[in-house]
Amino acid sequence: MPRILMGGFDADLKDFLKQRLNGYPITRVSDAQEILEELAGGSVSLLIFDQELEGALGSPAVEELRNDPRWVELPVIYYARQGAVDEVVGKLEDMRFCKTLLPPLDPDEVARQTAQALGIILTPSEDALKVEQAVTQARARFLEVIAARLETIDRAGMSLLEGHLTPDLREAARREAHKLAGLLGTIGFPAGSRFARELEEILGRGGQSSPVQAIRYSELAVALRLDTEKPASGLPPVNPPCGERPASILIVDSDDDLSERVEAEALAHGVRVQRANDFAHAGQMIREDTFDVALADLLLSGKEEEGLDFIESLAIRTPSVPVIVLTSKETLTDRVEVARRSGHGFLARSSSASKILEAALKLVDRLHSGDAKVMAVDDDPQILSLLFSLLESRGISIKTLDDPTQFWKCLETFAPDLLVLDVDMPKLGGLELCRVVRNDPRWAETPIVFLTAHNDSATIQSVFSAGADDFVSKPIVGPELMTRIFNRLERSRMLRRMLETDFLTGAFNRHKSTQMIADFIDLSRKHEQPFSLAVIEMENLEQINAGHGQTAGDLALDRTARLLQNAFRSEDVFGRWSGCEFVVGMYGLTRYDGVQRLMGLLERINKEAFESPEGGKFSVVLSAGLAQFPDDGINLEELYKAAVQARAGAGPTEVCKAAAARSSAGKQGDSQNADVALVMRDEAQASLLTHTLESHGYRTRWIQNGRSAEKLLAGSQPQIHSRVILMEVDLPNLDGISLLKQLGSDGVLQKTRVIMLTTPSVANEAQAVLELGAFDSVAKPLNPPVIAQHVRRALDAA
Amino acid sequence: MSRKILLIDDEPAIVEVTRATLEILAGWAVIAASSGSEGVALAAAEQPDAILLDVMMPDMDGPRTLKDLQAGARTGDIPVVFLTAKVQAADIRRFRNLGAAGVIAKPFDPLRLASEVSSILGWKTERGKSAEVEG
Repeated sequence: MPRILMGGFDADLKDFLKQRLNGYPITRVSDAQEILEELAGGSVSLLIFDQELEGALGSPAVEELRNDPRWVELPVIYYARQGAVDEVVGKLEDMRFCKTLLPPLDPDEVARQTAQALGIILTPSEDALKVEQAVTQARARFLEVIAARLETIDRAGMSLLEGHLTPDLREAARREAHKLAGLLGTIGFPAGSRFARELEEILGRGGQSSPVQAIRYSELAVALRLDTEKPASGLPPVNPPCGERPASILIVDSDDDLSERVEAEALAHGVRVQRANDFAHAGQMIREDTFDVALADLLLSGKEEEGLDFIESLAIRTPSVPVIVLTSKETLTDRVEVARRSGHGFLARSSSASKILEAALKLVDRLHSGDAKVMAVDDDPQILSLLFSLLESRGISIKTLDDPTQFWKCLETFAPDLLVLDVDMPKLGGLELCRVVRNDPRWAETPIVFLTAHNDSATIQSVFSAGADDFVSKPIVGPELMTRIFNRLERSRMLRRMLETDFLTGAFNRHKSTQMIADFIDLSRKHEQPFSLAVIEMENLEQINAGHGQTAGDLALDRTARLLQNAFRSEDVFGRWSGCEFVVGMYGLTRYDGVQRLMGLLERINKEAFESPEGGKFSVVLSAGLAQFPDDGINLEELYKAAVQARAGAGPTEVCKAAAARSSAGKQGDSQNADVALVMRDEAQASLLTHTLESHGYRTRWIQNGRSAEKLLAGSQPQIHSRVILMEVDLPNLDGISLLKQLGSDGVLQKTRVIMLTTPSVANEAQAVLELGAFDSVAKPLNPPVIAQHVRRALDAA
Repeated sequence: MSRKILLIDDEPAIVEVTRATLEILAGWAVIAASSGSEGVALAAAEQPDAILLDVMMPDMDGPRTLKDLQAGARTGDIPVVFLTAKVQAADIRRFRNLGAAGVIAKPFDPLRLASEVSSILGWKTERGKSAEVEG
């Protein structure tokens, strides 16, 4: 049974922890040597370690502990009683403690950290239970008061629907809604608070409300009543975390049934929903209110073009509103057109309400996570609140932290794009934090802006030597701070782009694309999906440079790269590896698919007219080779080699001829696999077919007579495994029919598809071979493209 | 160190919850007034360490009450924290400019209230009386 090992501390803390951790076993020892002995005894899941433990700090026992591979992963919580902050931070790094606690020792904090490290849930403290009890009592006592308030709200709702809400009643209801918004969340009805707040908003707009608002109001009032009649949800509920507000969705659809289902689902999730029946109305609502996402029926007005215009209008406004199209039919042209107008996807109208809501919220999350994230650490809550309002209003998500000891936890979970640190903070100062951040490879590149009350040269120097990127002196001037933060964010994005892309072509550089391709290969392995790697070379770059100048060569590379990049899917990895060499990683694509894709593309680019700055005309010559995982190689290096070799086999006049390295290696007799084995007598015909099939990306083997074919392909352990065998009936030494029978009786046909090349003049030959177990038959004379199609079909079926 | 907090709020349920949580989790004494004018009088008489002030109250609202408190000879120096169900950034700025020490949004989490007040006022939480939420 796992247990906590406690080195030092007193028995009280042990008892306290045990109670808070729901009886989790704890062993307490009081010297460093004992710790090693207990660890050796096994089953220790976490070590809590007191600096005061005799001889602990820097003692050989602790070093031994951290250097022992068996305990490398063991979480250790360290309580540093004394020592300079620098020293403690140093220890934190050297010893890889997962958490360092500083005096005064707070048992609750120890319990929290322990629970977090072990991933278990804390039993609430007695005090917290008492508070919950008090809250429950308050709730019970005031339910009647709440009900009375709801009556005022309901009366106002009725008047609103009838269109004659008096100013007095409006104000009274608004006041009640406001009070409920503040109260309900505090006593365990967080959703109720949100409903009440929206009611308050509607009432606060003044004037006579529109029928839509009146209906919305009465729905909210009902939801509010239902929520307060439910048993309260447990504590803690309440305020959304900093920087978040409930998501809001606009449904633009004439199908009330669908809208209502989604709305009900949304209300249950605390998501705000508004509805519009036509595009004009929707446009007006969007001007007046903020929405995170819109769900729209493309054919709402009967004209698709109007729907597309609506999508586009939402995409170009600021802030833009992403749109998901609700549709009952879905064609490729729709998809393309919607994507072109910046729509964000499709959902079938028949989807369940919960699925629609889920998709909408996922989209919101995804879009928001693209925004910059800033984390600010300052012990002055006023500064934090100022930063919060400044940054939040610019659409930056900000996490504020007033306790630097929580720094790591927050950093890991929030993963900010930029840090704002205060120089002077108790416990852990900004300079110390900065040094630690700079020493962690994951965060070393994160820009850091300092806030400092002093701007003497010594302070400034220490700020920069700690690794800061910039500093702003207090008192904070809003625009100055904003400018600096934005500059830093922009610069770090640019830096990342520079680190990852090739400056000439905008393709990923070798380093970055290598990483990404390796990730895709891992993915292919895991999901048993094909992955193809293409190597594309511009063969005449030297000639272009020599004949038209280096600038013309650069421009040609740039334009070629963009033409290529536009043609690939966004999920393809497109990188430039050397002067004239591009590499493309295509997940989910077989070599065959890859070749199809590349052939047309390269042909097109080779026909493009290029022009040098001096007006000289030229064209580029591209050739390519492909290799497929895992057939041609099981890692990037092997795949690259295979693709390069395949490309080398393609002459400059041919656009693209893909053949795997192994098939050429097969000529030396060490190949065990082929996609297609050709068993035929005539060398010229075989070479024609080989060429066609290899240019489609298939590895081929040609075997000239029936006896050799029997030796290589038949038997219980065939020497060559081929997925398809293409063979003539009329073969030297051993005829095709006998060979087919042999293959059948050896069980080869279970794994391999045979396509027989039959002679039309021989009656019933086609029928006969099919009865003998052939997969397919093609009548002579040979037509290479037709045969390629049959091969493709056989491979698909295999 | 035991502190005395004055809560000015016309919502009895809020008074009850606030009193319970501050007394249990922080060990502070809580006195309450249900209107601005009552609060100003009570503040002068009781000299609390801090005042939690609801913004929206009938007759005399929060900002008006704050003004009276600031004008009072015996109440001018007592830090005031607003409790408000309006949590727009602009409101927070406005309350700050009026001279409030900080703003706590309603609804609040009862288990966190004491630590929020402490952090706004720069008070150290008493040992073993942590006001953090337990998950």
